[in-house]
Amino acid sequence: MFDLAGLAQGFGIAFTSVNLLWAFIGALLGTAVGVLPGLGPAATIALLLPVSMKMGSPVTAIILMSGIFYGAMYGGSTTSILLNIPGEAASVVTCMDGHQMARKGRAGAALGIAAIGSFVAGTVGVIGLSAVAPPLASFALRFGPPEYFSLTVVGLLLATYLAGDQPLRGFIMAVLGLILGCIGLDPLSGAVRFAFGVPDLMSNLDFVTLAMGLFGVGEILVSLEEGSAASILTTTVKNVFPTLADLARSGWAMVRGSVIGFFVGILPGGGAVLSSLVSYAVEKRVSKHPEEFGQGAIEGVAGPEAANNSAASASFIPLLTLGIPGNASTAMIFAALLIHGVTPGPFLIKEHPDVFWGVVASMYIGNVMLLVLNLPLVGMWAKLLKVPYAFLAPMIMVLTLVGVFSVGNSVFDIWVMLALGVLGYLARKLAFDLGPLLLAFVLGPIMERSLRQSLLMSGGRPGIFLARPISATLLAAAALFLAFGAWSGRRRRRQAAPA
Amino acid sequence: MNAWYRTTAVLLLLVSGLVLQQSVQVLRIHEDGQPGSGFMPFGLGLALAALSLALLVKHRRRDAERRPFWERRAWLHPLLAVALTAGFIVVFDDVGAITSVAVLVTCWLWLVSRKSLPISALTGVLTAAAVHVIFERFLQTPFPRGLLF
Repeated sequence: MFDLAGLAQGFGIAFTSVNLLWAFIGALLGTAVGVLPGLGPAATIALLLPVSMKMGSPVTAIILMSGIFYGAMYGGSTTSILLNIPGEAASVVTCMDGHQMARKGRAGAALGIAAIGSFVAGTVGVIGLSAVAPPLASFALRFGPPEYFSLTVVGLLLATYLAGDQPLRGFIMAVLGLILGCIGLDPLSGAVRFAFGVPDLMSNLDFVTLAMGLFGVGEILVSLEEGSAASILTTTVKNVFPTLADLARSGWAMVRGSVIGFFVGILPGGGAVLSSLVSYAVEKRVSKHPEEFGQGAIEGVAGPEAANNSAASASFIPLLTLGIPGNASTAMIFAALLIHGVTPGPFLIKEHPDVFWGVVASMYIGNVMLLVLNLPLVGMWAKLLKVPYAFLAPMIMVLTLVGVFSVGNSVFDIWVMLALGVLGYLARKLAFDLGPLLLAFVLGPIMERSLRQSLLMSGGRPGIFLARPISATLLAAAALFLAFGAWSGRRRRRQAAPA
Repeated sequence: MNAWYRTTAVLLLLVSGLVLQQSVQVLRIHEDGQPGSGFMPFGLGLALAALSLALLVKHRRRDAERRPFWERRAWLHPLLAVALTAGFIVVFDDVGAITSVAVLVTCWLWLVSRKSLPISALTGVLTAAAVHVIFERFLQTPFPRGLLF
């Protein structure tokens, strides 16, 4: 079950000076973007896609990007605890008790327990990833086009449904993402679609342009409208090492959070946000003092912080074994792998063991780096909150502009990015989640190819999707899930109606 | 916000109409009895139309109280940023990448962030220098040459 030889090979790769340096840079950048409100890991990975293209090795590029992703989970808690503003969506729950602890003069203990919980869960998540991914990839080798079509349908449905609280808007964004994915050359017939005579559109819409526009430029515009909260830090941070009593209270919360995060994180769309919410609810339920929750209960920080880190590691399982990214950040990593000529999926572990095991091993190392960066140096991260966003915003914009130009040397791409940025800004204002759009854009070509190949195999009969057991099971699971979602939604509305 | 969602739904209906028209008239839904290049877009056009109608129905009621899309003048900073960026793209090829970056950052800090002109100009020059070192020297990006660099 546990491929020790593979892991040893991975550590050999991860321990080279270049990979250690990029893992450290990823962890450092991830913590910084987690700390700073307004710039998430997905946007940061998007900004760095052009840089990663210049890196010779796909392992090094993915080590950097995954470091940013799980590093942001560590950093997100700092802003939640000190400012009551989640630096990351996954740290929303940490605000509830973390900031209350800070107001009672226990900011250091809250930050310390968040870092320790993140380390424990991050390590548990990577151990789970090392153990579960290889057998799952072997199983997925049985998949043909019908199974892949059903898998992408299930992945997209789950990701859209679980990621936001407005499924209808999520589905609209997913369909828009699939349509945007159709622009350019048809992968099977070579026909040009939706280019309207514009030569630059004939060779497909570029993922980097789309990601940087929607996430990079869109987030800058939203932040400009909302203004920066960076100047309100007044709390001082001291005694970051928690007491024995704190550790005793939060030990089991970390363990439960790690397990919950791992299983929720495997689900497409489940990810860090949902797992932290589930963990908080569980901690409140099992606590002997549920009345303390919301007033500064340390378990309310330890559990959710463990859960979101474990989920971040677990979300690599569907990406690396099935080729199905479950959230916006892993969709960026999916694109980066494709850019480097590595196709994520069941063959990845066999064909590119250096990439898989190198990245997994770098996560073990990255977690240790993050503990060092976040525990003794937490005061430095708190100081980062004093950098005015007024200076950061134009620099991030410049990075997106020259970054997109550097990918295709095309001014047209910059125009497209700006237009998509405005679209992303308006979508955020109307509470349309952008994650499903990006996931659909990535999954669209796989979905279309497998759909059309399946119909070719069956002579145009759609019954093929139900005739094959794995495909039928996946579609049945999706149908059951949707039916349950619709039923529970209706029940919630009925219960809310009399009130 | 219902009015804004209704407007969005109508715009999305127009997009779905365009997708359906292209799928049927420009692309082919079927080719030799097999799904063609318009097959998937046709299905997506139908799905988008159905979802847009659902959005329209969901937000059919009038708002109890009209709330503006932007709070008082909140649109100003994003609009200024978009205008400055559009200006940057227009002059990018002729003025050159490095000079454009310096001008964009200076104008942004001065007009959007309300920093003093000397501080804005200094930051603009430093940012342009950093872009030159990272992108032109380190990453070998072939930026357009302009008036100064």
